[in-house]
Amino acid sequence: MKNINHAKNKSNQNNNGNARKKEHKVWYKLDLSAIVYPTLQRRDFSSVYRLSVVLKEPVCPDILQKAVDIALTRFPTYKTAIRKGLFWRYLEPNDRPGPFVQKDIRNFCMPMPFKAGNRYLIRIYYHECRISLEAHHCLGDGTGGMAVLQTITAVYLRLLGRPISDGGFVKDIKESPSPGELEDAYMRYANAKVCPARPGGKAYSIRGTKEPFYTFNVIDGIMSVKEVMAVCARYHASITEYFNSVLLYALLQKQQSEWHLKLRPVKIAMPVNLRRFFPSETLRNFITMVFPSIDPRLGDYTFEEIITQVHHYMRYYINKKFLRGDITTNASTQRNPLIRIVPLFLKDFVVRMFYTKVQDRNSSAGLTNMGALQVPEDMKPFIDRFDIYMGQPFSSRTNCAIVSFEDTLTINFASSIIESDVERLFFRKLVSDGIHVKIESNRQLY
Amino acid sequence: MSYCVNCGVELEPSLTSCPLCNTPVINPNELQKLRAVSPYPTQKGNVDVVKRKDFGIVTSIVLSATSLSCLLLNLFVFSGSLWSLFIIGACLVLFVLVFPAVIYTKLPIYISLLFDGVAVGIYLYLITFNTAGNKWFLGLALPIVALATILVEIFALLLRSFPATFLTTSLYFFAEVAVLCPAIELLIRHYAGSRLLLSWSAIVLTVCSVILVLLVTILSTRRLRDAVRRRLHF
Repeated sequence: MKNINHAKNKSNQNNNGNARKKEHKVWYKLDLSAIVYPTLQRRDFSSVYRLSVVLKEPVCPDILQKAVDIALTRFPTYKTAIRKGLFWRYLEPNDRPGPFVQKDIRNFCMPMPFKAGNRYLIRIYYHECRISLEAHHCLGDGTGGMAVLQTITAVYLRLLGRPISDGGFVKDIKESPSPGELEDAYMRYANAKVCPARPGGKAYSIRGTKEPFYTFNVIDGIMSVKEVMAVCARYHASITEYFNSVLLYALLQKQQSEWHLKLRPVKIAMPVNLRRFFPSETLRNFITMVFPSIDPRLGDYTFEEIITQVHHYMRYYINKKFLRGDITTNASTQRNPLIRIVPLFLKDFVVRMFYTKVQDRNSSAGLTNMGALQVPEDMKPFIDRFDIYMGQPFSSRTNCAIVSFEDTLTINFASSIIESDVERLFFRKLVSDGIHVKIESNRQLY
Repeated sequence: MSYCVNCGVELEPSLTSCPLCNTPVINPNELQKLRAVSPYPTQKGNVDVVKRKDFGIVTSIVLSATSLSCLLLNLFVFSGSLWSLFIIGACLVLFVLVFPAVIYTKLPIYISLLFDGVAVGIYLYLITFNTAGNKWFLGLALPIVALATILVEIFALLLRSFPATFLTTSLYFFAEVAVLCPAIELLIRHYAGSRLLLSWSAIVLTVCSVILVLLVTILSTRRLRDAVRRRLHF
């Protein structure tokens, strides 16, 4: 077990005071991606994402609490608290009471102070037929979170007397977690012989009016997978390529409608699930970012040209070789002995500066596509749809998350700005392409 | 089932306007119908307040122990002068500054600031025990501390009552500097028994006045305000 570190520590004397027991205290190093997220923590920002499942009947909170208590024992890295060491942060098992299921709120993905909520880094909410899991990104990515959510849902349904089998995201709760589920898979594959440079350059940033603290604007678009696939086939593109192109198209239009001294390239930060390329069953972070972009300074792009550009970008960059190089570049900083011995507060300062001044300005919006979610066959009749939210954006922009289940595809936009121009341009393009879109939003509740 | 006439998207039945373009939803067939319930919860969440009680206790113990040790040393070992009052006063000021930040976080900001002003006043008063008299305290230190506290309270009130942008915050700041500096000079002259005239503070007042006129002009002209925001956004 590479990533689990056992620190021997002497236990307290027993009541007789005769024997000293030695026990192993388990703790987990943060994985390569997870190192960055706690650094960005602010009073009004945490890297929290949300995964929701909408069932076909209202949720019973008492049974859900039981299901959470049972299921979480299977996911030791999700029942942890984050601690500061001298050089790095780490996760240690959290035996405090909780996490407790709570009634859902309209301003979800709230900041998650590390010392609040009994130090848990996950929250579970319920509202009518919806069960939602919010997790801090330092615990794991969407795939890991989805395994937790689906296992909780499966246990919940079993407690209601429905026979649900294991498989896919639903883990067997009687089994102990395998070492592979807890590993930092980045380090296993960060072995390219060269560290390619990170893609740089300032991108167009949306100028939005910031909403007051505690506001989280959501616009969900619900549509049919079949309709979307028909449109994608017309453009000879995959669903991810198509939605990336629509978002780029919307951002380009938004930039053109504003006053600018000079135009900037429009870029999307898109996480790629590395499990597709590098076999790993890890439930922790295992993603890397790619940045499909369009540079309007080169000329006006038609939508078809954008699709072609994105299609070729994806084919060129998203492959094993390039991704391995990218992981190696990211891992090289963590492996550098000089960087390792720098105290944590200095690392925090430098990483925060780098993220704010470089990384955050490197993209105009975020887009993630979790693809078509699979659940065990006997669970399908109880599930209506899934929703995913990338969480509060670090700067004033909008994040877009896509997921599909059976024939329902949901696109969830999340932002902390008043303007909804990007969302409007995005959905209008879908409608003009002949896709029937149903809109839900929490904007009018504020 | 309603559609937005502008965007062409179907709208969830509880929506009264399109969230994409704010066009109101008017369905002539469903005017009498009750609005459906939103699929989102209406309850608003708040982030849990993290109590830094342990840090507060440790700080209180350290400050109390420092004050007590210095007092004992002053009384029984180095008893030449009342030097421990400087340290006790500094500990008191530190405690008052730290108290609302880490222990009693619900204390209103105005009360906290008032306590801070009082603590600084007490510290200065403690210094009078080591000086020839307390005339400087009553004639100079106390009025300046009182004025500074009132101005800081007004600054907090303005920031909380009106939108706090870069421009408005600068306006409040320079207005208060324009009041504070001449007042300090007049108090000093009054204490020294010289004529009540403005000299160095007149320069500060002039600079602040120019900046204030500029800021008021920018704030009152929307076009200018937008231009400044556009150019200074970061």
